[in-house]
Parts: sequence; structure tokens; C-alpha cells
Amino acid sequence: MENIIINGLQQGFIYGFMALGVLLTFKILDFPDLTVEGTFPLGSAITAKAVVVGFNPVLAVLLGALSGCLAGLATGLMHTKLKINYILAGILTTSGIYTVMLRTMGQPNLSLLNKKSFFGIVLSSCGIVEKELTLFQYQAATITILLVMIVAARVLLGWFMKTDLGFTIRATGDNEKMIRSLGVNTDRIKLLTLVISNFLVALSGALACQSQGFADVGMGIGVLVAAIASVIVGEMFFGSKKLSLLLTGAVVGSVIYRALLSIGLRLNLPAEDFKMVTALLVLLALAIPKIKIRVKKPSLDRNTHVVGGINSDKA
Amino acid sequence: MIKLKGVYKVYFPQTPNQVIALNNININVREGDFVTIIGSNGAGKSTLLKILAGIDKVDMGQVELAGEDITNYPEYARAKDIGRIDQNPLVSTAAQMTIEENLAMAYMRGKKRGLHKGITKKRQELFRDVLKSINMGLEKRLQVPVNTLSGGQRQALALIMATLAEPKLLLLDEHTAALDPKVAKEIMDITCKIVETKKLTTLMITHNMEQAIKFGNRLMMMHRGKIILDIDEVEKARLTIPQLIEKFTAVSGDVFADDRVLLAN
Repeated sequence: MENIIINGLQQGFIYGFMALGVLLTFKILDFPDLTVEGTFPLGSAITAKAVVVGFNPVLAVLLGALSGCLAGLATGLMHTKLKINYILAGILTTSGIYTVMLRTMGQPNLSLLNKKSFFGIVLSSCGIVEKELTLFQYQAATITILLVMIVAARVLLGWFMKTDLGFTIRATGDNEKMIRSLGVNTDRIKLLTLVISNFLVALSGALACQSQGFADVGMGIGVLVAAIASVIVGEMFFGSKKLSLLLTGAVVGSVIYRALLSIGLRLNLPAEDFKMVTALLVLLALAIPKIKIRVKKPSLDRNTHVVGGINSDKA
Repeated sequence: MIKLKGVYKVYFPQTPNQVIALNNININVREGDFVTIIGSNGAGKSTLLKILAGIDKVDMGQVELAGEDITNYPEYARAKDIGRIDQNPLVSTAAQMTIEENLAMAYMRGKKRGLHKGITKKRQELFRDVLKSINMGLEKRLQVPVNTLSGGQRQALALIMATLAEPKLLLLDEHTAALDPKVAKEIMDITCKIVETKKLTTLMITHNMEQAIKFGNRLMMMHRGKIILDIDEVEKARLTIPQLIEKFTAVSGDVFADDRVLLAN
């Protein structure tokens, strides 16, 4: 039980940054961005390499997160300047990222054994010596650090979405024509949002790398669906489409989702089935509203469409 | 105020479906003019407004607004001077955002948007005052998402949003056509009030001849991409619907055959 809670909180917070990033693009901007499958391991790989060559782990995490900005920018430029379909743009960037990761690390994975971790540095800067802590105390300390970070991210994002600039992001996802007619260059808004979103996703990858002590080029597979599942779980948890609850919901959903995975592992459920189960759950969550609408008013369901995995009602 | 010089717009060029939507349009609209534009389907009315708003690009010719050549400006770059309302109430507002959020975005029309708080007490007061002036009770519903409003309420909100930041030009593309007659009249009254108090230069497309004659100080009739009639204030004051149809037949050599326009009376 303890393990499930610890795991759920720790992994949930780490992947919570990613859920926030995915919420921003998929749900708020209505731009299904597949880049994140590459951005997540990229953040991880850059951080690992930076630590190995001797960077301070805190700086390494920052570098990892910033690498995500570049990936988001690449996808955004392909889509806005070259008019490449957003799905394809994301796939192209992800494909390119694999080479970047392999070239950076020089191998498909990189271990950080015996290197000081991000969490150790933060603890020692608070005057706590890592080696004197029991395992439980260390885990509690890690979770506290992550909690402070994710709350900060949630608060910042919530504040940002309430500014004039934040409004334009929401409006671009809601009614692009309208906000353009009010003098907003929506291409620029899409670029900005992709940069912020991929920053969060790469930060998530960087922290995952620091928490597990290694980076691997394959660690991005399936993270997007998991993040969408977290967003959906969060939405169901609060049962509201209010923006502030969607943001908090993404983090809460991420914790619940990771806790459920831990429970699954604890019950000795076959881990190889998890991705299929997650995919089916997401599919189910998306299908239910569609089916409901079809039952209620068969002629109007054209106004409701599924974009990038999250139901968006444009009517 | 607005000058169009030799403007051409062709859709689907060099295909069997080629349409010359605008065929050598030359107009000079003075500041403060309220022009009503009438014409049958496919006459080029909406294209004309889209060219002015920058949604469509001209193929040839020049567009000037307040002495500035804006021919090659993208839509977002001219938005600070131009407010536009579509006939579809869903187009001009962001459905999932609240009334006050929509107004805040309109308030910042054409300005640089930064990290200033979108909703402040000061802005809310301003929004309440403006909404009160149209008497629809919207001032009490600032925090309500726009998708809960009726078509008429959304169109009224769109009107406020189009004119809140004092644009130089207001474009109305049959903005009452999708509403029921009673609501359409209300929206038209609000339109007149706003245009008068703000002394806005306005171009209004309408399918309704009576409306075209009743409102504004200038009437243009379009047909097959050309402006075939341009009637000034004095002449317009004496104009009747049968006379307008007669004039159309004389100038175009066609029979006026658009049920929607005729039945609208």
C-alpha cells in the first residue's frame, strides 16, 4: 500500500508536467502534437549526457527541458511556415529526435550510476545530507520537491492562461478565425504554445531520468497515450470543463493513473498488457460521449468531433 | 476612407469552375458613410468584404484604408482598424470562453497582448457599461460561457466586440440574416445606435431591399462581380423597392431573379 502511494505520487508528479503540456496542446489549443513522444526521451537524454560530462544536475535538468522547446519550435515551424499537417510535422520531428538522442548519448541508453542526482543537489542546498536519510525519508523528500515544482507549474500556467496572451491561446483553440479577426497572428500563438508544452514534456523526461538514474531512447513509447489518459482521468475526477479544474485535474489524473499502474504491477498483472489497456481505456473515454450524442440527437453529431484524442465541442 | 482601385478577384482560375467574383471594382467610400450593399447570390458582395478584411487576397488592384495601402496586409495586421461580423453567430465569438473573456480579447484588438491580467475590475466596469447600453441583460452574465447564449445575444455581443476598440471601419456581412425577424430587428436597432454614436464608416451587406433602402446614406447594388448601381443619400431617400428592381433591370439587362431578395420584402 505504502509503495503504491509513494510510486503514484512520485511518478504521478513527474509525469504530471507532461500531462500539463499535453493538456495545453491537445485540449486548449486543439493541436494534437505528437512531438511529445520524442520530446520526453529527448529531455531525458540531454539531461543524462549533461550530467555525464560534468554539468550540475540542476542545470542539466534545465538544459533537458529547454531542448524540448527546440523540438516544439521545429514542429511548429513546419506546420505554420511550411503548412505541413500537424500530425506529420510531429512525426518528422520525433523521427529526427532519435538521431539527436543517439548522437548525443553515443549509445541507446546512458546510466547515471554513482552520479549526484537533481534531487540530491536540491536536498543538500536545503542543508539535508542525502546519505543520512532512510529510503522512506528520501522518497518523502523527493516527493516534496516534486510537489513544490508541480504546484509552481500549475499556478504559473493558471496565471498565464488568465492573461491577455493566455486568452489568445484559448481562443486560438476555440475559434481561430475570430481571434485572427481581432488582430492576433495565430501562427505565432501556436508556436508559443508548442514551445511551452514541449518544455513541460521535456522537463518531465528530465526528471524521470533523474529519478530512475538512466536515460533510454525508447522511454517515450506510449507516454502520449498515458498523458491523454491522465488528462481524461483528471477531467472525470472533477467532472468539470473549467480551465482551472482541468489544469489541477491533469496533475491529479496523472497521480491516479500512475497509482493504478502500481496497483496493477502489485497484483502481478502482466506489465506487457498495460499499454493496450491504457489505449483501450482512452478509446472508451472518447467513445462514450460520441455514443451518447448519437443516441440523443442523431442529426447533430457532426458538430462534435474527436480531435487528437480529446473530445472538443465546436458547436 | 476606403479606396478600391481596379480590384479583381478570381476563384478557381483556369478551371471550368472559374468565377470572376470581383470584376474591376472601383469604390471610394468617405469617412462616416454607411453603405448598404445588395445583390443576388454570387454577385461578389461577401468577396468584397473579405477583400477589405484581408481574409481573401486580391488578384489585381489596390486596397486603401485611411490613406494607407493595405493591399498586402494579412488579416491580423489590419484587424486593428476593421471590425467585422459574419452572418453565422458562431463565427464571431469564442464559444467556450465567457462573455467577459471575449470582450477582453476584443478590447485588446490590434494591440500587443502581453502578461497583463485579462480581466480586471476596471475592464469589467467598462464591459458592464457597454453591455447595459444594448439592454439585453448581458451585463449580469459576464462570467457565462458564450455557448449558452442565443443566436441574437451572440450577434449582439459580436457587435459590441467589433466596435469596442473603435475601429475605423465596420463590415457587416448579413449579420441579421440567420436570426428570426423580431431578434433581427433588435440587432439592427443596436447596430444603428452604435454606428451613429461612434460615427463609424460602415459597409453592410443585406438581402433585404427594404433594409437596404431604410438604413445608411448610400446604396450599392452588385451583380456578377461589378457594382452596377451606386445611389447617394438624396436619391436613396426617395427610392422605393419597385424602382430599385426597375433600375436593376435597366442597368444589368437581366431580370431580377432571386427569390430570397424579393420575398424578404
